Amino acid sequence: MSAHAATADHSHHDDHGHHHEPGFWQKYVFSTDHKVIGIQYGITAMLFLLFGFYLMMVMRWSIAYPHEPLPGWMSWVFTDTWKARWLQDGKVTGDTYNMFGAMHGTIMVFLGVVPLGFGAFGNYVTPLQIGAVDMAFPKLNMMSYWIYLLGGLIMCASFFMESGAAKSGWTNYSPLAGFADGQIVNQWLAGQTQWLLGLVMLITSSLLGSVNFVTTIINLRARGMTWMRMPFFVWAMLVTGFLLLLAFPPLEAAGIMQLVDRVFHSSFFMPSGLFTKSEGLAELSGGGSPLLFQHLFWFLGHPEVYVLLLPAIACVAEIIPANTRRPMWGYKSMVYGVIVLGFLSFIVWAHHMYLTGMGPKISTWFQITTVLISVPSVILLTALMISLWGGSIRFTPAMIWACAFIPMFGIGGLTGLPLAFNLVDLHLHDTYYVIGHFHYVVAPGILFGLFGGVHHWYPKITGRYLSKTLNHLHFWPTLVCMNFLFFPMLIQGMAGFHRRWYNGGDAYLAKAADSANVFGKTVAEYIDLNITMSWAAWIMAAFQLPFIINVFLSLRTGKKVESDNPWNATTLEWATPTPPGHGNFTFDVAAYRGPYEYSQPGADEDYSPQWEKPKTDSPVVAPQPTTAHH
Amino acid sequence: MEIPYIFTPRKDTGMCNSKIAIWLFLASEVMLFGGFFSSYVYLRLGADYPWPERALPVLPGLINTFVLIFSSVTVVFAWAALKLRKWGMFQLCMGITIACAAIFMGLKGIEYNVKWHHQAVRLTDYTILEGHLDKDPKAIDAKGQPYEADVIHVNAEKLTFSTVRFHKPWVEEIIRQAEAGKATVALAEELSLQGQKLPAGTKLSVDLLEAIQKNHLKSRANNADVRTDALRGEWVAAKAKAENAGKQGWEMAPNINIDPAKIANSIMVETPSVSFVVTPPTNLWFKHRDIKEGADQSRLRDDTAIIGKLQDSPVAFHNLDAIDFRHVVMQAEKKGIDPVKAIENTWLIKHSKEAKEAWEWNKAQTARLEQELLDKYGRDENNQPKRVPTLTERYRIGWKDFVAKADGVDKGKEKIHTSEEFMGPNYELREPKHTFPHLHIPRELVFLSGKFTPAWNTYYAIYFTMTFLHGLHVIGGAIVLGYYLFRGKKMYQSNPEWLANRVEVGGLFWHFVDLVWIFLFPILYLM
Repeated sequence: MSAHAATADHSHHDDHGHHHEPGFWQKYVFSTDHKVIGIQYGITAMLFLLFGFYLMMVMRWSIAYPHEPLPGWMSWVFTDTWKARWLQDGKVTGDTYNMFGAMHGTIMVFLGVVPLGFGAFGNYVTPLQIGAVDMAFPKLNMMSYWIYLLGGLIMCASFFMESGAAKSGWTNYSPLAGFADGQIVNQWLAGQTQWLLGLVMLITSSLLGSVNFVTTIINLRARGMTWMRMPFFVWAMLVTGFLLLLAFPPLEAAGIMQLVDRVFHSSFFMPSGLFTKSEGLAELSGGGSPLLFQHLFWFLGHPEVYVLLLPAIACVAEIIPANTRRPMWGYKSMVYGVIVLGFLSFIVWAHHMYLTGMGPKISTWFQITTVLISVPSVILLTALMISLWGGSIRFTPAMIWACAFIPMFGIGGLTGLPLAFNLVDLHLHDTYYVIGHFHYVVAPGILFGLFGGVHHWYPKITGRYLSKTLNHLHFWPTLVCMNFLFFPMLIQGMAGFHRRWYNGGDAYLAKAADSANVFGKTVAEYIDLNITMSWAAWIMAAFQLPFIINVFLSLRTGKKVESDNPWNATTLEWATPTPPGHGNFTFDVAAYRGPYEYSQPGADEDYSPQWEKPKTDSPVVAPQPTTAHH
Repeated sequence: MEIPYIFTPRKDTGMCNSKIAIWLFLASEVMLFGGFFSSYVYLRLGADYPWPERALPVLPGLINTFVLIFSSVTVVFAWAALKLRKWGMFQLCMGITIACAAIFMGLKGIEYNVKWHHQAVRLTDYTILEGHLDKDPKAIDAKGQPYEADVIHVNAEKLTFSTVRFHKPWVEEIIRQAEAGKATVALAEELSLQGQKLPAGTKLSVDLLEAIQKNHLKSRANNADVRTDALRGEWVAAKAKAENAGKQGWEMAPNINIDPAKIANSIMVETPSVSFVVTPPTNLWFKHRDIKEGADQSRLRDDTAIIGKLQDSPVAFHNLDAIDFRHVVMQAEKKGIDPVKAIENTWLIKHSKEAKEAWEWNKAQTARLEQELLDKYGRDENNQPKRVPTLTERYRIGWKDFVAKADGVDKGKEKIHTSEEFMGPNYELREPKHTFPHLHIPRELVFLSGKFTPAWNTYYAIYFTMTFLHGLHVIGGAIVLGYYLFRGKKMYQSNPEWLANRVEVGGLFWHFVDLVWIFLFPILYLM
């Protein structure tokens, strides 16, 4: 089918020549313009992020105050019937917590961060930065967005069904995920099944997207935009595209097999002799392997981490040179680093599975590759950090976020090192330490990078700046709350707090002073941190309001940009009108130099844009694409 | 605005957009099928049951292989014809390609159909039986036809439905069966809904259950609201107490409870379940997957409890196609028991004269085969026979063996009709000779029963999943190529090179589909 789509796509270009003004629906809703699609992705993804955040706030209530009813300010969104089904006297139940936990993870990863980083920023910025008129396949691009939306809505719709949404964790391990919602006779109406349907759609969407991105980057670069003149952002998108293209399909295979397990009662992931409390001896053939699911899941799962990360680091890599007014330090090492990172990310997956007893040889292999992958990661982060050195830094709103990204992501990365070693991981696996680690990577790391990106490109998209005051009101409390939210998790994790306790460890407490329950005493020592973390989360939620207000208010009241290139940046997206029209460029765009030529000796200004012809006495020879090496 | 390089290649990359895209797409497809092929290897290596080797009819698979290879050639000819600007030739070659796709799917359909019409049963002692089922005269479906004899009968006295979960079609089916059995299903006790009293003896209907459900959900929502407010009040009060100052929630929690007396007036009656009496107690039958049966009490998957004695619910074979002891042997070897003894101790050999005869015949045939192989291939340096009969030859008695036995010829020498190579035994032809054993198996001996669907074992699961997905690719590819064939004329006249480019891309996809089959055929049919 997709071959059909990939080729049939051209047909609509037949009508070029007789331009007709598209109507509202074509222009803003069913648009094929990469910029509109990027904005659609951005808005949808942010709404999903908000929803995922909300689920987490409810979970944090259950962790901090497991015995108290959910307060009205959180529970008013639910209907009475829903509350009666999922809350016990107003308290969050274990089932509900599991459901929210599974969906929080799924929404944040698959519906929030990836679509925001890759779908939104990638779509808007990539074609502009390589000097292309649009994506190579605009209709595929549109389909990609709508399939993503449909998949997301299907997943979330299950919240309102009798079964509720998926409850088996975002990793959806079998056999648990194979059985969950087994009491629902029509399996197509079970949350756990709809999760899989949604997942298959999201994978289809990302497949269409990634084919489009990679083709665009390979074939639609402007004259002179050789590989080593591509901004790092584009490189990151290229690698991300390949990761999505190659890592997602095995999960699709796993998803299809789990779907067959659920709907047709096969035993792909069901071992022989499976006995459950509710079902007794399962009426299944058995003979399958739960471990197979984990392998297929993490084969995607780990590259997915880099799919999350690369767009954010790509934003930061654009923000930093523009605001330090000096070339990016180690551009080439960053490019090679990101390529190596892409390759290595395919062979580290089983470090998520040390506890499954794969055997020491396999564990050692994955331990080695995992440690290896920290090398390119460190190269990226170090190059960004050194780029600050000796720069004349402007603390624009985007730059503030980028500067916070570096240490926050650094904490996230460094706390990951102990988890790479299987001996340490045996202790830390499935504890809050792991949660703290990857949330440091994703929340103050990746999301900060993406917030920076919003501030950096908002003037190009709308022609107005975002408010600095509101940004300060957003940034500083968020930074503080993030650390109060995630640092205690590292501490609790090392004390042995399990990541899936719905009551925050309450059940494990040593209630009496002379109790023999030693672990309970440790729990008692650290359980109060739950309250700190929960309040940090809720306060942080309140301080996201300035951002939301900022994005909408600045559309009307924001300071207008003085020029098409408000940051005096060098990459091609700043050569377009503001906002760029359909077709992007108003002149025959070409790249005459590298992406980050700031403060070049001999230049009139402290930046030399890529599209500016070099000053030379000899006649200018336009660069030919044939010089590209690949 | 025009997107460049739609079908003219870019100089430095040497490719047009669609060519790059299709290769990327195929790379992704390789990973997708790679995931499935890896799973196949993983499942096969880890299988704790005898993997069904060469279980599928080879002939249709082989024909399909050549059909697809041939179509890959014709699709190239179609592309070449376009390049040479020979429209008629293009039509012919593309037409053949699509016809090949149709033949492929047709054969696939026959193959699938056979799977859905054969029954398989695994007994608790690991004997595996294959064949066709009798009709169960006591299980009459809505069309008045008897259902296949693989259902659970319960003499229902009392039914308790879960108000929230009951599955409408099942309730309707219960009502239908009760009516057919001239029994009434009526409310066991008086029930009071808001503003309405339902007397005991009200007849069961979906509407009734829905009314009760509506009432229950309303009461439940009300009560949850009342209880939540009450609990909140208790917490506020507790936190205000001086003795609780500085205490954490978990320290206070044990002393905080809702006082039932305080909220008694606001609480509405919930009816989470509702019971009905069947008079007179009557026979109800259910598909075995829908029910967890017990001697006196059974439970449907939608949480309906059925009180009543479990009735005799055998799996009744009209005829057996195969008796397979390989799993018995595998289990016996695990426990260190002599496989032949284990087989001869199975329920089947002890209870079915025909099966025992067949087993004895097969044993004799295996001995003969063993001698033949020894005579032909001799012994190796360790004085062991170089070739011995396979596990399948030893322990599986297939329908061809039953035919050979009836015809009085040696194993492997039976006469098979060509159609039987595709479809299995032709009963109309064979049945008068009574070559296939009949059998009734008590329900408690059945571990798993069903058709040859993904549920039967992981081999059929991966077989169906992979071939179905491959079939979808064949259909998808045929639709795309068909579009070029039937709708390409206009484009051919305006821009033949563009059409040729599209056909080339479609053809690349078609070759990929062919390639996948070339891997699928040996691993599923031959190995």
